[in-house]
Amino acid sequence: MKFLRHLAAATLVVAVVVLLGLAWNHFGAATLVGGQQASFKQAPANARVPGAVMPRPGAKAGGPRGAPVIQTRPMDLGLSSMLDPVNLAVLRHTVVIEAVVIALVVMIDVSRRLWRQERRARQLARSRSDDDPDP
Amino acid sequence: MNGPPVTSAADAVCGLARRRRVAARTRLDFWFDLVLLLGYTLAYSYGFTGIAIHEWLGIGLGLALLLHLTLHWDWVLRTTRRLLNPRGPDKVIWIVNLALLFAMTLCVASGILISRVALPYLGIYPLAGPFWSRLHVVTAEVTLGLVPVHLALRWRWLVRVGRRLLTWHRAGPDR
Repeated sequence: MKFLRHLAAATLVVAVVVLLGLAWNHFGAATLVGGQQASFKQAPANARVPGAVMPRPGAKAGGPRGAPVIQTRPMDLGLSSMLDPVNLAVLRHTVVIEAVVIALVVMIDVSRRLWRQERRARQLARSRSDDDPDP
Repeated sequence: MNGPPVTSAADAVCGLARRRRVAARTRLDFWFDLVLLLGYTLAYSYGFTGIAIHEWLGIGLGLALLLHLTLHWDWVLRTTRRLLNPRGPDKVIWIVNLALLFAMTLCVASGILISRVALPYLGIYPLAGPFWSRLHVVTAEVTLGLVPVHLALRWRWLVRVGRRLLTWHRAGPDR
């Protein structure tokens, strides 16, 4: 019961974020794509993404009510690209970025804790020396 | 009448069971987080996975993230309440997590809206547009920065649990 309650709350939060995204698209889409339109490259008409569904030649692009959409071949799961060493570089790139960021944050955290410990030790030493009677 | 508390065998069993339950929850959190990280790393590496795996993995990650948020909802409530405390220790983590929630949710949502394989395969034809494409790219880049920060801010917990799990596996779960 508790889990369901939490799931409902989490779903509500996620829904609010999605609604905010939709509102952004509705009211202020230009803030995100306004200056970027020119940088989009127009893909060639015959270009296709591996595994993507393609409309029949001569048909209009559209949904179920529009032109019929067919798959030109069995769905390509892209498994072949996973085995290609060239594409492995992409994964390596992601892992390197993650590792660098993790290392940076850990180093900052460790140095911050060390600095705090040192400061605390210094304060303790100072308070002890203040307590000591003068010779 | 006010004698020392009597610890019965049933209480001991109950305590042990509770300890085991907590350990099970910790194990679940650890492995689930690890799977999420691996899934995210793969999903981000679009050029490595190909579009179909990228999209299905993204949808799966969306559901997994909802579960992750649900499992940690207690933490969300507790930390949000403590935000007013000026010396609250989890403030940075809370802000990073909130940013990650926004970025990840918008990334998955925009990814669904520009889906070219997964949703059309299910007979759903989402509305694509430059806004959603751009939002997907931007939020993906933001999450790539925030996911490792989110992880690294809990590195002590990860190391501690990882070490415990390693020794637990070496010693055997029944011991």
